[in-house]
Amino acid sequence: MIGEILAGLAAVLDWHVLGFLAAGVSLGAVFGSLPGLTATMGVAVLTPLTFWVSAEQGLAMLLGIYCGAIPAGGIPAILINVPGTPASIATSWDGYPLTRKGQAGLALGINALASAAGQLTSILFLAFLAFPIARFALQFGPAEYFGLALLGISLMAGVSGRHVLKGMLAGSLGLALALVGLDPMTAYPRYTFGMSEFLDGISFVPVMIGLFGLGEVLVQISDRHASRAVSSGVIGRIMPKAAEARTMLGATLSGATVGTMVGAIPAAGGDIGSVIAWEQARRTSSDKDKFGKGSLRGLATSCAACNAAIGGAMTTMLTLGIPGDAVSAILIGALLIHGIQPGPLLFANNQSFVFSIVFLLVFASLLIMAIGILGAKPLARILNIPPPWLWMGIVLFGTVGSYALNNAVVDVWAMYVAGIGGFLFRKASVPLGPLVLGLILGPMMESNLRRALILTRGDWLDLLSRPILLVFVAATILSLLWPLIRARRRAAKRNHRLSSDA
Amino acid sequence: MNRGETATGGLFLALGIALVASGLGLPPGVGGLPGAGFFPQAIGGLMALLAAGLLVRRSGAGSEESVPASNLMQVAGTAALLFGYLLLWGTGFFAARTAAFLLLTLRFLGQKWMPAAGYSGVLTAFVYLAFDMGLNVSLE
Repeated sequence: MIGEILAGLAAVLDWHVLGFLAAGVSLGAVFGSLPGLTATMGVAVLTPLTFWVSAEQGLAMLLGIYCGAIPAGGIPAILINVPGTPASIATSWDGYPLTRKGQAGLALGINALASAAGQLTSILFLAFLAFPIARFALQFGPAEYFGLALLGISLMAGVSGRHVLKGMLAGSLGLALALVGLDPMTAYPRYTFGMSEFLDGISFVPVMIGLFGLGEVLVQISDRHASRAVSSGVIGRIMPKAAEARTMLGATLSGATVGTMVGAIPAAGGDIGSVIAWEQARRTSSDKDKFGKGSLRGLATSCAACNAAIGGAMTTMLTLGIPGDAVSAILIGALLIHGIQPGPLLFANNQSFVFSIVFLLVFASLLIMAIGILGAKPLARILNIPPPWLWMGIVLFGTVGSYALNNAVVDVWAMYVAGIGGFLFRKASVPLGPLVLGLILGPMMESNLRRALILTRGDWLDLLSRPILLVFVAATILSLLWPLIRARRRAAKRNHRLSSDA
Repeated sequence: MNRGETATGGLFLALGIALVASGLGLPPGVGGLPGAGFFPQAIGGLMALLAAGLLVRRSGAGSEESVPASNLMQVAGTAALLFGYLLLWGTGFFAARTAAFLLLTLRFLGQKWMPAAGYSGVLTAFVYLAFDMGLNVSLE
């Protein structure tokens, strides 16, 4: 085994491989930090470039893009409240409020450190626990996916802040928007209004760019010259103090664990993982009121979780040959072109290559962390750009980025309509996080419930006899009831204290 | 209750009822299995219920943000320019059209002519080079 590890390391410690890795990480940082360009797009566009080089060099570039884009997605989320990638939605919830408080540097520093912690933790999982995790993920059928989606949707209330009812309404709107397109089981067109562009449903990325990007631009225009300006322009320090680091350690590790587990489940990526981790950290935190208002723990856990999904997805991809997310689906294709078949046999026949991947991921994580920390100050200067210039940059990149996804103008319409909706919702204090959750999880919930019911011939009781689904259902019920239980316990404690005082 | 909450609640209530009604027109399930109309009805029902809850609850006053009229005009003007730009999408001359849109919007938002023109040109050129030439996205 030691020989295989050393062989894997030796293959990576080659200037060409390291050069491709550095190029990949840099390109990934560009793709991640520009709204509309995603890690998936970066890997897809640059995969053909790797056909003319060795497997190690090609994979170094693609893994570099993957590891570079996800943390970089947090940069615009923090600085301008526009998630660079879908995985960094939860990063904006605490990152942007920190920027508004003049702590953009600290938020970027935490993004770099927690992202690296998340990636490295998940790589450790990949190195040591690949097989058990993959075997667990293999037990997931439609019923279990339905349970996972149900648990995710139950988090709507938690991510709604003070406006729970409005948040639930926004979530139900997200679920309703997810209905547009062909019915997942019968291919019957629903709410397409006879337009072929809607048959594939409403694209998630343009809606996200519209809600968070264009919507934020319009909010800032409406708040112009008011107290709620773009930001103070103050960057502040980058590295967290030792005491701050200590308070974030637990949240980072829990985010990394949740992110890895969710990432290992096929089709459940960093976007779902980071939201689940953020909400879990909020519920268990003693300062839950600070979450969504610039909590360091909230930011650390979401950054760690969305990045940890990389290792989780890679674990499932390498051990089972099943893509954990869209990027790993493209990576499988790239590996196959190089004559490498992901799956259990890869671990038996080509262990040194597996260790090469592990080392490539480690180096990519460290490189993007260094870029994140060293580049924080220059990046944060974006806040000194005159706001109208920044707004037009966001609008143009959002517009062209939305169009570039499918070369379809309908995606730009979706982005603009979502932008107007995002503006109106924010003005009416309707939280946007639940809407995104509904849009992501709606199709997953519907298709898997209906598939599971076909397997049980419509028997709901048979469906509920699956143990993993039962765990998810119990967790869902607990997550919905927990605020009530906690309020009741607090009231009981208060009454007890009052009676003992009397 | 403020006007914003009433409008939000009313809008969602109407949308929920519309979803339930349209779900009834979709194919029903067969043999105990939910059909294409099951989820629209379930989601519509949930939405209508939550919206009714928002309409009947007594609290919530003061959560509406007020926007100065001049700023609201700027929001409306920017949105109009955006949709105007989108309506002209696909008519060719991407670079010229985009630079003109950026310049007009920046001027509308109070920026001076020369810096706005320079920035519009540079931003358009960068986006065109990155997407059309770099990523092969046909912007024309």
